[in-house]
Amino acid sequence: MRAKPSSDVGVIDADAPATVRVQHGHRTLKAAAAQRPSPPAEVRRYRFMQNLKRDGSIIALLAIVAWSIDRLDIPLDRLPGLLGRMGATLANRYFPPDLAHIAHADYLHSVFETLQMSYLATVLGIVLAIPLAWFASANMTPSRHVGYPLARLAIMACRSVHEMIWTILLVSILGFGMLPGALALTLFCIGFAGKLFAEAIEAIEIGPVEAIRATGANALQTFVYAVLPQVRVAWTGTSIYTWDVVFRAATVVGFFGAGGMGWYLRESMQRIASQEVAAILLSIIAVVLAAEFVSAWVRTRISRAIA
Amino acid sequence: MNAATMNARVDGIARDRSRTRNARTLTLLLGLAFVAATVYAIVIKDTDWTRLSIGGIATTLGRFAEFDVSMLPGLVDPTIDTALMATLATFLGLFLALPVAWLGARNITPLGRASYVFGRGLMTLSRSVHEIIWGLIFVSAVGLGVLAGVLAMAVRSIGFISKVIAEAIEDVQPGPLEAIRAVGGNKFQVLWYGIVPQVLPVVLGTVIFEWDINIRRSTIMGLVGAGGLGLVLFRQMARSNYGGVATVLLAVLALIILGEVISHYARKAII
Amino acid sequence: MTIALEVRNLRAGYADREILKGVSFAVAPDDFFAIIGPSGAGKSTLIRCVNRLVEPSSGEILLDGDDLVSISQRKLRAARRNIGMIFQEFNLIERLSVLDNVLTGRLGHTGTLRSLFRVFKRDDIARALSLLDRVGLSDHVHKRADRLSGGQRQRVGIARALMQNPRLLLVDEPTSSLDPKIAREVMALIREIARELRIPVLCNIHDVKLATDFCTHIIGLQDGVKKFEGKPADLDERAMHDIYALEVL
Repeated sequence: MRAKPSSDVGVIDADAPATVRVQHGHRTLKAAAAQRPSPPAEVRRYRFMQNLKRDGSIIALLAIVAWSIDRLDIPLDRLPGLLGRMGATLANRYFPPDLAHIAHADYLHSVFETLQMSYLATVLGIVLAIPLAWFASANMTPSRHVGYPLARLAIMACRSVHEMIWTILLVSILGFGMLPGALALTLFCIGFAGKLFAEAIEAIEIGPVEAIRATGANALQTFVYAVLPQVRVAWTGTSIYTWDVVFRAATVVGFFGAGGMGWYLRESMQRIASQEVAAILLSIIAVVLAAEFVSAWVRTRISRAIA
Repeated sequence: MNAATMNARVDGIARDRSRTRNARTLTLLLGLAFVAATVYAIVIKDTDWTRLSIGGIATTLGRFAEFDVSMLPGLVDPTIDTALMATLATFLGLFLALPVAWLGARNITPLGRASYVFGRGLMTLSRSVHEIIWGLIFVSAVGLGVLAGVLAMAVRSIGFISKVIAEAIEDVQPGPLEAIRAVGGNKFQVLWYGIVPQVLPVVLGTVIFEWDINIRRSTIMGLVGAGGLGLVLFRQMARSNYGGVATVLLAVLALIILGEVISHYARKAII
Repeated sequence: MTIALEVRNLRAGYADREILKGVSFAVAPDDFFAIIGPSGAGKSTLIRCVNRLVEPSSGEILLDGDDLVSISQRKLRAARRNIGMIFQEFNLIERLSVLDNVLTGRLGHTGTLRSLFRVFKRDDIARALSLLDRVGLSDHVHKRADRLSGGQRQRVGIARALMQNPRLLLVDEPTSSLDPKIAREVMALIREIARELRIPVLCNIHDVKLATDFCTHIIGLQDGVKKFEGKPADLDERAMHDIYALEVL
């Protein structure tokens, strides 16, 4: 007899005999032992090379590392004193940082520019990422054969190309300034947020989606009423995190000509004004850390408010 | 409920709904105004539209289309270099992340709150500094070349890897650890037989994920002198050889796709 | 007798496994059909085929004369407007209020642009309120759906289905997630309203006692095949053995 699943509530036949067979306990340990599966043919003390796939992978990996060090001409002999030499260089050339160089209105304006670029890129990127993520989600895509692969490709393309590559491409097309930077960061944002948004959609419960579809709603209505409320919290957190990452990149795009603080970095580096460079680097790190604090704070406040 | 009360109720609700709607529309418009202001600042004020033209843009884009297929064989070496840089950097990053994770894990951090905060601080620092900046720092410290790129990416990877390891350690089940202590195991044995097996799958998955990201990063480390495809890219840009740039980008794309495929199957193999 | 819903030779399943193997029956406007049977018999699949949440592989489903199986996606949406569905897991939109949840029943009749901004007609709001009053939830109109008990949530589901002014009610295990007492209340409510508005009901149910107590007709499915069709009084022990054969012997 097949055992009935306990979830069946149906009161079928309470008098049916319970004929589930019960295993008899073994009478002696010997009998029990006779029933156990036999031990592996060979048990060695050292388990090296018994699991071929795992141990093979480890050896292959170590071999690759060794080969890389050789092929890339990594000067291993220079490594031991590395920290000491770095400390010396830091102390001699970069210390004290020339804070006076950055304490003027132009530089502060560049910080503001960085903020503007990151803000616009995040907003625009997220607005574009939302429909892309919808089409790129395996469960909710309204167009399985055309829209889905295209959307996934678009997101992958934006992600694969490093934001600095986007930057130098756009700078060569549009010239120097904030515009190429903002556009490059937008493309980066689409790739970054798009993937996370799509993953959030793929994690929703299908029940509410079925219910909304069953009322005769079209694809867009289903998205707005069944999908959005479920992903709202995750998407908000992702958006704030995305701004954080975009801002970090925004501080550097100026190095390649795209406006913001990075431009000053390049400028000082080209003149080998190391103390200025130190000051600018410190300010960049400070600003990014501040942005991280702010975004973490906003995330906690908002997730409590909209949950 | 009679018809009159019902009617009044419906009216009340309809009124509330339109009021909330109006408030939301107002907030939306304010947000849009803000965005418009930023767009103005960036697109109108900052951009020199006298020097830009559709024709100019089209010409530049056209120059990108001049692929130089003869370059491709010469790109094989830099591509391999780039992949190896990323691999080495991830390896080193994992190695360096272990002590940082140890410091930043609440349950095993040695000096209590102080070392915990220090560990977490190192994690944040590693992640907050852009890889380009790490690249610049290391280039000034150890000179141009692959070493600077590998070190920069390794240090950048510490943040994420150690954070994941620390969180995995914090989530470890105490049962197996107690069992090992109960049979007389020392701290190292608790670590090796108790913590490591529980933490290993997540760590491996994270390392593969970070390797994939490092492939992406290593393609541009050459822009600050650290070798690989990035260096070739930099040289082509410097010569304004847009066709060459496009060709290098093809190699970059191919490498990244390969990386995605490898990491996809590697992660499957772990699970 | 007028027929509201007729199912002819319905087959459904996957490439390697057929779940429904040719089921046929007819439902009149005053009927409350219960579909019973062991797990895996295809009860849920049958219900979901009617509004094509599950795609049938062959057969006909005639609602007031129109075959639902062969119509296009657009016509299907129009047809779905007339079919209300009540779910086992309630399937409410958790973060929306009770009122908003009931209003979603009118989505099929509301223009896309208006619905995007949750602008529903005053008439719709009035109807929603009166339905909520009918199911006894007047005091909870503005509460968030996830703050309700199971029984309350199912009642919101009932109101939502009725918002559509449906010509057929599909009910998929309405009581499996509810306490026995609440389950009976919910079944009674569905039966009462369906009778009042003369809406035929097709209900998939696990608990045979609930089926015999509340429904006018019973269909017994086993392994995708109809093993019994008749009134509750006709459901004797032999019929039960037929339907649940594999489980009882």
